[in-house]
Amino acid sequence: MGLKIAIVGCGKIADAHVEEVRKIPSVHLCAVCDTEPIIAEQLAVRYTIPRWYCDVAAMFDAEKPDVLHITTPPQSHLSLTRQAVAAGCHVFLEKPLALHHCDAEAIVASVTAAGRKLSVNYWPRFEAPALELHRLYDSGVLGAPVHLESHIGYDFGGEFGLALRRDPEHWVHRLPGKLFQNMLDHVLNKITPFIDDDHPLIDAIAWCGEAGADETGRGELLDELRVTIRGAQTSAYATFSAHARPVGQTLRFYGTKNTAHVDYAARTVVLERKQTFPSALGRLAPAFLVAKDYLRQGLNNVNSFRHARFHFFEGMHRLLDEFYLSIERDSPPPIPYEEILRVSAMMERIFEQVYPGARA
Amino acid sequence: MKVLVTGAGGFLGTHVVERLLAHGYTEIRCFLRDRGKAERLLALKEQHPGAQLELCYGNLRSKSDCARAVADASLVLHLAAGLKGAPAELFTDSVVVSRNLLEALEARTDMLISDTRVVLTSSFGVYGVVPLGRRARIDESTPLEDHPERRDTYSHSKLRQEQLFWEYQKKDGFELVVLRPGVIYGPGGGAFSNRVGLQIGPVFFHLGGSNLLPLSFVVNCAEAIVVAASHPDSAGQVFNVHDDSLPSASSYLRAYKKQVKPIHSIRLPYFVTRMLARSLEAYYRHSQGQLPAIITRYKAAAAWGGNRFNNTKLHALGWHQLVATQDAMAQTFEYLRRQKAKQ
Repeated sequence: MGLKIAIVGCGKIADAHVEEVRKIPSVHLCAVCDTEPIIAEQLAVRYTIPRWYCDVAAMFDAEKPDVLHITTPPQSHLSLTRQAVAAGCHVFLEKPLALHHCDAEAIVASVTAAGRKLSVNYWPRFEAPALELHRLYDSGVLGAPVHLESHIGYDFGGEFGLALRRDPEHWVHRLPGKLFQNMLDHVLNKITPFIDDDHPLIDAIAWCGEAGADETGRGELLDELRVTIRGAQTSAYATFSAHARPVGQTLRFYGTKNTAHVDYAARTVVLERKQTFPSALGRLAPAFLVAKDYLRQGLNNVNSFRHARFHFFEGMHRLLDEFYLSIERDSPPPIPYEEILRVSAMMERIFEQVYPGARA
Repeated sequence: MKVLVTGAGGFLGTHVVERLLAHGYTEIRCFLRDRGKAERLLALKEQHPGAQLELCYGNLRSKSDCARAVADASLVLHLAAGLKGAPAELFTDSVVVSRNLLEALEARTDMLISDTRVVLTSSFGVYGVVPLGRRARIDESTPLEDHPERRDTYSHSKLRQEQLFWEYQKKDGFELVVLRPGVIYGPGGGAFSNRVGLQIGPVFFHLGGSNLLPLSFVVNCAEAIVVAASHPDSAGQVFNVHDDSLPSASSYLRAYKKQVKPIHSIRLPYFVTRMLARSLEAYYRHSQGQLPAIITRYKAAAAWGGNRFNNTKLHALGWHQLVATQDAMAQTFEYLRRQKAKQ
């Protein structure tokens, strides 16, 4: 039998972890844990997981897992990581990684000091269109990055949004960056690999875009965010919107040679190429070239669907596969720790601007 | 006697408060989460100036809110439950909050939990109807579901909630009354139960056929809860709650089309639904969940296998249907017609 996996934190996102872990035949999900016994029990019963626990130390003692998935709110990530590596586990953490950047650094330090590995669930980075973007970049089609625009939408009517609206005590409301902190990893982790500066200039503004938000228990929860980032040679915009429709995830990469538009929801990557045709012909060609790209992507997607590789969390499946392989082969983890820490540092600087004083 | 009603701002809750007032209860604490749902309760308060109708806002996820809710209450009508959302949310809002409420009752110092009567609104979904076969008669002695994980998450969470109440009742010795309503409907509610069929895209798949619908008009259901809560012999008992003269799923759909709006529906016989379910299950397994198995043979058997129902035990308590089924459907369809017109 391969790696033994355990999960701590049996809330909504734990379902996705269970489903993706179970698709990997070389590993075995042995147990789940939650401080709330009813929530641990329901996850174990629904997925027929052999055992469930309310005490993570008891789970470590009894199960001796190789990898611990930490799907609790970030308030507990540092202490759980320390316990996990002390018990000999590698850790796979749900985003956001930590409350503060210093906690993120402590998480990485404790894992490396113990000779274990970690990864964070930056699953969109491992979706097919994201991989295609990196292939285009690595092969030189795009040229050097000039500017990037990363956008993510949010739906307060969805499963996660409803939970947040219904419960004024929800852990997201207690994060220093509140809702943004729970979402911004997915915006920034797409940008950081291309920003050529460890300390870029960051300017952020945010506001509450919905009148009467008080009635839903959300109070003055900010739900629109715009960030400009300027590195030495590359700049970026990061946007979060709870009101723009459709709710989507996109990245636009402006390169010195060509521009790529990545749509993570539609799973497409479209190139906007430098035109070589003269005059009016140069204005006629792009629509057809873009249409051809979309047709190709659509057929690729049909093919993925036909081969059952078109799940919602396909990227997470790929990320987990690579993370488990890196453990088995003792090779570098799929996401470099420096990138994880750059995301966390950028997030902290954004929250300092939109929620000044939240650090306390 | 102070009565606590949890979920008092909800579809059923406001009617329960109204029936409590009609039965002469004068000290009622209405516990609700959403201030936006207080309008009807505030109107009732104005209509009954002699009654002490207390609106208590909070969330049963919070133990301190639970403590506030149960203070001085000797009769607790627990209606609050999760209806939609992710499984963990449903279990939190149905089971975890129930545990919090029961612990708050245990922790009271001014009143013994054994001196309290607790009335739980459970669900028909807790019954294990699949092994019984089609047309089986469902009454209070029908065994509970053995495989809740194979049913919908709502039914699963309601079963766990009910089990929790019985566990605490055994431990603490309070009077527990459990009501299991069928499909609660009425003005303010939805148009179709899954027992009628499923709306998929623009098409309504009518899967219930000629099966009886265990409808419980919201006013009749509220009356049943209050009658059972008040009756001295109901302690330790379970009561199925549905109306008399039940319509079939097809007659309900026909009436809806005639009185609310015409909709495009496709009727699938039960054996076709089973075949479809088998295919969906096979695809789900093959694709490792690329498309959700919204219909499985187990779920199909539970929802569309078709059962007969019995409310004799409820009648024996003295409950009678306040609104006749025909009038109840007419009121519901009138409400739905107005809603459609607004859209």
